[in-house]
Amino acid sequence: MIAARRAGRSALIAGALTSTLVLAACGSTADTAGGTAGAGGVITDVGVTDTTITLGIMGDTSGVFKNLGAGLNAGNQLWADDVNAAGGICGRQIEIEVVDHGYKADVAKTLYPQLEPNVLGMVQLLGSPVLAALEPNLIEDNMLAAPASWSSEVLDNPGIMMIGTTYDLEIINGLAYLQQQGLLADGDTIGHIYIDGEYGGNGLKGSQYYAQQHGLTINEAKVTSTDNDLTGIVTGMRGAGVKVIVLTTTPGQTASALAANQALGLNVPVLGNNPTFDPALLETPAAGALGNLYVSASNAPFSSPNPKAVEVTTRYKEAYPDSPLNAGVTTGYTEGVVWQNVLEAACEAGDLSRAGVKTALTTLTEVDSEGLVDVLDYSSPGAPPTRGVYIAQVDATAEGGLREVAPLFTSPEGESYVAPFQES
Amino acid sequence: MSETMTPPAAPATAPPAPTAGAGRNWLKIAAAAALIVVLLLLPVLVGNGGVAYLKLAQYILIGAVGGIGLTLLVGQAGQLSLAHPFFLLVGAVGYAVLAGDPEESADLVGLGLPPLVAVIGAIVLCGLVGLAFAPVAGRLRGIYLGVASLSLVFLGLWLGQSLDMFSGGTSSGRNAPVFELFGFEFANSQPAPTIAGVAIQKQQRLWYLFLAFALMSYFLARGAVNSRIGRSWRAVRDNEAAATSMGVNVTRVKAGAFVISSAFAGLAGVMTALWLDLVKPDENEFTGTYSLTVAIAFLAVVIIGGLGSVPGAVVGATIVFGLQQFFLLGSQQFGWFADAQFGGFSAVVVSAFVYGAAIVLVILFEPGGIAAIGRRLTSRRSPDARSANGGDRTTPREDRT
Repeated sequence: MIAARRAGRSALIAGALTSTLVLAACGSTADTAGGTAGAGGVITDVGVTDTTITLGIMGDTSGVFKNLGAGLNAGNQLWADDVNAAGGICGRQIEIEVVDHGYKADVAKTLYPQLEPNVLGMVQLLGSPVLAALEPNLIEDNMLAAPASWSSEVLDNPGIMMIGTTYDLEIINGLAYLQQQGLLADGDTIGHIYIDGEYGGNGLKGSQYYAQQHGLTINEAKVTSTDNDLTGIVTGMRGAGVKVIVLTTTPGQTASALAANQALGLNVPVLGNNPTFDPALLETPAAGALGNLYVSASNAPFSSPNPKAVEVTTRYKEAYPDSPLNAGVTTGYTEGVVWQNVLEAACEAGDLSRAGVKTALTTLTEVDSEGLVDVLDYSSPGAPPTRGVYIAQVDATAEGGLREVAPLFTSPEGESYVAPFQES
Repeated sequence: MSETMTPPAAPATAPPAPTAGAGRNWLKIAAAAALIVVLLLLPVLVGNGGVAYLKLAQYILIGAVGGIGLTLLVGQAGQLSLAHPFFLLVGAVGYAVLAGDPEESADLVGLGLPPLVAVIGAIVLCGLVGLAFAPVAGRLRGIYLGVASLSLVFLGLWLGQSLDMFSGGTSSGRNAPVFELFGFEFANSQPAPTIAGVAIQKQQRLWYLFLAFALMSYFLARGAVNSRIGRSWRAVRDNEAAATSMGVNVTRVKAGAFVISSAFAGLAGVMTALWLDLVKPDENEFTGTYSLTVAIAFLAVVIIGGLGSVPGAVVGATIVFGLQQFFLLGSQQFGWFADAQFGGFSAVVVSAFVYGAAIVLVILFEPGGIAAIGRRLTSRRSPDARSANGGDRTTPREDRT
């Protein structure tokens, strides 16, 4: 006790001494604002030198989305290789710096300050909890980021570069497709199982809008992402007489719902958002029940006959043999293509600074990824850049487990939907 | 588990007088002073380029404050609790509600109090919530109390999801109000003051704030342990009947320990909110900021550090909260584990092994944790202390400094 007091007192003295030293060394500084002119008379600030443009990935190669994350990273890298082989952008080569946060917000929060000073922007930012935690940083650092998360709730930040359409529109278009196929009629009851959170909440918005347009009744069921057995919920939905089940869930939950759908003799079509399906499900005992699943996604499925998609997936299989086959590859490539358009526009405007690329994004009205996703329009802030989706059905014989059943299309309901932050 | 939770009674030999040796005391004082100087100068040492390491150091302090609270409860008062994440959540949400700007959003409750008042309010709130749980804590012990306290984590998950006018909901959460002290904002500013050429921006300011919180927690906990409160905790932990016969009100002491531990967790919760710039309830009970994983992490902090030892909790927090992020930063900066592209030995996997192995090794070979190792090292220099220490090394002996 006495020693503690003594230690405390000397700590106090030490502290006082230090603060004197500190005061002596104190001053004031202001960071120089604005960028400097680099090669070719282009204004640059962070992450851009005369020979390179560095972009960052905050991905997941060790957490729950490691398969998808590996595909995305590979897609990003394939794009960078293509660009560099073609001579780069603005006379500069593309470099990518990869960080793995394992889908943990706290890890991402620590890693971000290490990555931030090296990169112009983020070619991929995976995970909605990570995005939520980093949002103040992105705004403060004026950073442009392409999230691997498709909720229309994040579009209030002008630094978010959405690649493709959002979960709500996936569901709206998917329900419209099912109705076109005669699997759903006005006035029917549908079930929607969703994970509480950004992902599920946004998917639910879609079915609520479609239900309102067509007089449907929704039987809603909220789950957490760790609920593994959905049999009870599906049983309840059978009792409610649902004609279609909508899923905004994890792949494991999708398998459980589909298995129950078959085992209970319900056998209704099931519509899922892009992340509900993982090819790994085809190796689970639920494989036989997956046939009822329709996946609505803005990016082409791995096995899509689209020539650009075929080119990307062929190159992926050459460069990364034995790696998981999933739609992350084409999505990652598309992220790169959009960045390429942004950088080219910024280069033309003579401003490759962070503020410059953000401005360049809003000038883009027709980003063409050769059909990997629909044509993207970034000129109206707050609105999803596209509303078109591909519909695919599970097929064990197709590479990546999905067979395209409808090419890119946008339903009338999808056109009329107003997203949460859209300025109409 | 219960063996380590309720160690046998204190050794027969009386603890030695605090003046075990003047030389040792001076050494300790010098070491403590040097450590504090290094901590104060840390922002200068890492520079503006090393903000990531400062962020890591802040994170360790969050673990230290929470860990100190838990080691008092588990080690000193002998009550196993897994409810720490729940109190973290209450502290974080409490701070956001009390200090939140009422104008921010129509859907969120914000009282607009000064941030310092809000911090104190959040701590008091956590203490009161802890008091509400005290009747349960008073009736159960050991693993039963652990399981009962676990229910609070699930309660927190449910409340966070349903009361989104307070918590902001699981989708987007709500902003953590910027801390402010007498008009000085803990945020970036232009121009910023500098120390030895290093700009003191938001992260540097937060570091000093967290350091102040952590030092305050440390000395308050040491004070409690070394005083009558700490003696009554240990009396209740070792033998309730004996404690009663000594005039200790067992129910009140047990409740008090829970309240104090919850208050520490509440402060750690406020720090978490400031650290993440965000208050957002978890989407599930297993992964997230206020999840079961965090409950286990805090338990690991106190076990590795040594049950009941306040400095041990700080060291434990450094290992449990610091190691993974340190590996990650290092792998990024120096290219460690660079060949781990698709799975394999990545930084995350290696750190999980290290911290798992640390728990197993501590339980097998040194049940007193790092605190016991530290005590053995320091006592080697003073023979009288060693003889007193030869008895039972699992008993936390914080009545001695």
